[in-house]
Amino acid sequence: MDFELTEDQETIRKAVAGLLRDFDDRYWMEKDRDHAFPEEFYATVAGGGWLGITIPEEYGGHGLGITEATLLLEEVARSGGGMNAASAIHLSIFGMHPVVVHGSDELKRRTLPRVADGDLHVCFGVTEPGAGLDTTRITTYARRDGDHYVVSGRKVWISKAVESEKILLLTRTSRRDEVAKPTDGMTLFLTDLDRDHVDIRPIPKMGRNAVTSNELFIDELRVPARDRVGEEGQGFRYLLDGLNPERMLIAAEALGIGRVALDRAVAYGCDREVFGRPIGMNQGIQFPLADSLARLDAAELVLRKATWLYDRGRPCGREANTAKYLCADAGFTAADRALQTHGGMGYSEEYPVARFFREARLMRIAPVSQEMVLNYLGSHTLGLPRSY
Amino acid sequence: MQTEEFTLVRDMLRSFATRHRVGSADEVTPRTRAAARQALDELGLAELRRSSPPAATVQECALLAEEHGRQPLTTSLLGTALLAPELSRLLGITAPTSLPTIALARDLRFPAQHPSPLVAWDCDAADGALHVAPDGTVRQVALGPPTRTADLLRSVRAVPDDGEGEIVGRLGAEAGQRWQSYALVVVTAELVGAVDAFVELSTDYARDRRQYGKRIGSFQAVQHLLADARVLVEACASATRYAAWCLDHEPVDRALTAARVAKAEVNTSAVEAVYTGMQVFGGVAQTWEHVAHLYLRRVLVGADLLATTADLLTTLAEPAPDKSSPADTGALTPTAAEPETIR
Repeated sequence: MDFELTEDQETIRKAVAGLLRDFDDRYWMEKDRDHAFPEEFYATVAGGGWLGITIPEEYGGHGLGITEATLLLEEVARSGGGMNAASAIHLSIFGMHPVVVHGSDELKRRTLPRVADGDLHVCFGVTEPGAGLDTTRITTYARRDGDHYVVSGRKVWISKAVESEKILLLTRTSRRDEVAKPTDGMTLFLTDLDRDHVDIRPIPKMGRNAVTSNELFIDELRVPARDRVGEEGQGFRYLLDGLNPERMLIAAEALGIGRVALDRAVAYGCDREVFGRPIGMNQGIQFPLADSLARLDAAELVLRKATWLYDRGRPCGREANTAKYLCADAGFTAADRALQTHGGMGYSEEYPVARFFREARLMRIAPVSQEMVLNYLGSHTLGLPRSY
Repeated sequence: MQTEEFTLVRDMLRSFATRHRVGSADEVTPRTRAAARQALDELGLAELRRSSPPAATVQECALLAEEHGRQPLTTSLLGTALLAPELSRLLGITAPTSLPTIALARDLRFPAQHPSPLVAWDCDAADGALHVAPDGTVRQVALGPPTRTADLLRSVRAVPDDGEGEIVGRLGAEAGQRWQSYALVVVTAELVGAVDAFVELSTDYARDRRQYGKRIGSFQAVQHLLADARVLVEACASATRYAAWCLDHEPVDRALTAARVAKAEVNTSAVEAVYTGMQVFGGVAQTWEHVAHLYLRRVLVGADLLATTADLLTTLAEPAPDKSSPADTGALTPTAAEPETIR
């Protein structure tokens, strides 16, 4: 066993932390308050060459693994930017994986270098009002029309759609009742979000307000066949490849929020004096924070194991799901305790812990709920009968 | 009962309990059992629910059960003095010729339809056991050899499989619900007494025990543990006393729901509170000589007694019975709201 990060990995951590030092609490508070995309932050990360961390070198990226990508996103969240920061770049970091693996050379040449240098914003269009995690029930339909497809349907919870030029869009090209397996008949596209045919409506929400979450109404959107990723009908299979890394990235972001929330709580516990002594001297404050430290450390180890397995091409479903479950829980609990440590001031937006709390709560729901993780572990790992 | 009269009865029971409590598991002997049994018998508490209307309310019986639960006692106040007499009363038997306790399923839940494997529960001094089947039929069954449960204080005996048992009566639907409610309340109340007393013991210990030159109760982490445990105990007591009040004042279906809620609350909260108390005691609570494990055993077994949390939550989650449906036929079960086995 080796618990050391490599020299390169340590460099990533330090470099990212240094790069983001200037984006302080006020910056993120204002972006969140104003529902404004963090353009300056995005430009800085892109300018540092970090967006293409996992994109192959031949397409302008660094070709690094998921371990490095999780270190990057953890550090981004930990910088104090939390989910506002992480979500602004999340899809660029690993979202192009289906295109990298299954896209045509032409599609890759056309899109990946622009993603890597930050010029191209992409969002991810899978979930629908009638099909949350039950992806095979999507109904957005792509009808073939010569060398184009014509797409109509609705999508919901599409992060960053307002800011995106393109969408990685999952559609049905055969209806569910026309295929042998429910997972058949779905097709993936990387195509333009043509505003003349896609109405994008941001959803008012509890947190992470610098990056929009949207409902999309797609009406006769014409998609060139060359924007199709891989073969027709195989879209669901292409997405599956990315599910485990997606859980790991979210786990890393949750971990980063938990770490920064804990750091702020400790600082406040040392500074704030009540009854003539620092409040951190009270066991009622100190023990929950110490407990959170232990939980974050344990969750981090599972995450490291998961990314290590993935980067070696080994099965990692159990570890990816467990990492997401533990990091989301540890991150939220740390944020909750940080807020409690701050007392009334924690409820004020003057301190960042309220923002961390709102954002960390999301990680217990997205991209997969904690309950669905337990479903996975219960049926796939423990071998119990599937419960849903 | 008048307040003064009830206070007198409770003080008598308290005094008995203080005198006959066991100080450790090693003190549980045939001799100490016999002495406690005789002393309890002399209090005449079996008369409290014998007559109709009964001399004591359900609330008063629940408070007495609590009092009994507060000390580690080997006596069967519940089985022979509070539960079986109530069952006889509901059947209209005013002058029983024996001293039965109640029969439960082998897993200590409410029994299934006859014939099914049974035990006589809380049977110290008992000479038989009353088995209430889900259809309301009540049989008196014989006692077999002693059998053990994890609760070292409680007397439990097998019921011979070959015994048919004599039918002594049948509970109608309402009486059956009343019986279930009452049994749940009384059993739950004894657990409330146990957990309340144990949290009190651990709080006293935190006041006295010194580490690093300070009383451990001065540490916030210990104080908060005990405060949390106290909150759990209050929730248990409130739910149970409300259920007892409901049996005295409300329609039986509402009382049954309240009794199920109380038992579900106690099944989880009492166990958690006892765990907390044991954590405060530290290593000493893990020793055989200490009374902590007697309380822990009582509460752990109690959590499965009559109805488990899974039984109760499942039943509580079911829709309320349709009041507009035709009047029931008098059978205790099954109906839409009552699964075939009473839980």
